[in-house]
Amino acid sequence: MSETAPTQAHHHPTPRQYVQIALLLAVLTAIEVGLYYTEPTLGKLVTPALLLLAVIKFGLVVGYYMHLKYEKRLLTGFFGAGFILASLIYGVVLVAFLILPRFG
Amino acid sequence: MADLAHDLGHSEHEGLGVENRKLAMWIFLASEFMFFGALISTYLLFKGKEGLTSPVPRELYDIPFTSVSSFVLLMSSLTMVLAHNAQGRKDQPATRSWLLATALLGMVFIGGQVYEFSTFVHEGMTMRTNAAASGFYLLTGFHGTHVLIGIIMLLSLFGISRRHGGLSDANGLNLELVGLYWHFVDIIWIVIFTVVYLIP
Repeated sequence: MSETAPTQAHHHPTPRQYVQIALLLAVLTAIEVGLYYTEPTLGKLVTPALLLLAVIKFGLVVGYYMHLKYEKRLLTGFFGAGFILASLIYGVVLVAFLILPRFG
Repeated sequence: MADLAHDLGHSEHEGLGVENRKLAMWIFLASEFMFFGALISTYLLFKGKEGLTSPVPRELYDIPFTSVSSFVLLMSSLTMVLAHNAQGRKDQPATRSWLLATALLGMVFIGGQVYEFSTFVHEGMTMRTNAAASGFYLLTGFHGTHVLIGIIMLLSLFGISRRHGGLSDANGLNLELVGLYWHFVDIIWIVIFTVVYLIP
């Protein structure tokens, strides 16, 4: 553990809070699965709803379990840059190959 | 003099105010987004393609089964963070227990993936059946490999802790780094489960 660990540990969630986050993650996963089965009824609303839930779960794990919320902004910058860069590059690829061809 | 040496040693390991190995791990994980992004995009490009030889992955998904696997991996993130927390409190027996629990949950996940792959092959979908199947096996297989590497690292830490009666401060940092890796594998699965399995 680095020398800064005791200070950081003071700000980290307690085991009880970790369990609460896990329960929230489990509930969100259950809602996702429920949405999957309601797709015939809800139609196109399902995709954005599923993406939103995935983003929330992603944020909970990164923020609280990986402690990024409590770390220096430098780490958020590096990690966020990797995520944004990958999303942009592959987003452009998917738009170019999947969406643009539909418009001729 | 001793303080100066200590300060120099400290700055040597924390040039940017963050322990260098920790910084390296975060940069490595950031670079992994590019790797998994390529595999996810490849799958998405082929999954809806017309004229693919049947069966395509979507026809074979067992959502209840994969949901349970996802739940298991999510819970392994909980046990991992509890191991980290126990290490911070210097509670070595608890650290070992949570490390072992995390590794076991990881093994359950891998077992589920092996079962899923064998079922799919039995149903006639192999790597060569169609491009979507290749993309699916490549993506989930590489994710599974990451989980497997994580399990090896967890069991190594467990073994070191058991042998030496606990983890030293240096190995405590290793536990934190392994934890970051493990949680990353979990967030990648969150994306795969939604994008590959659930989104129509």
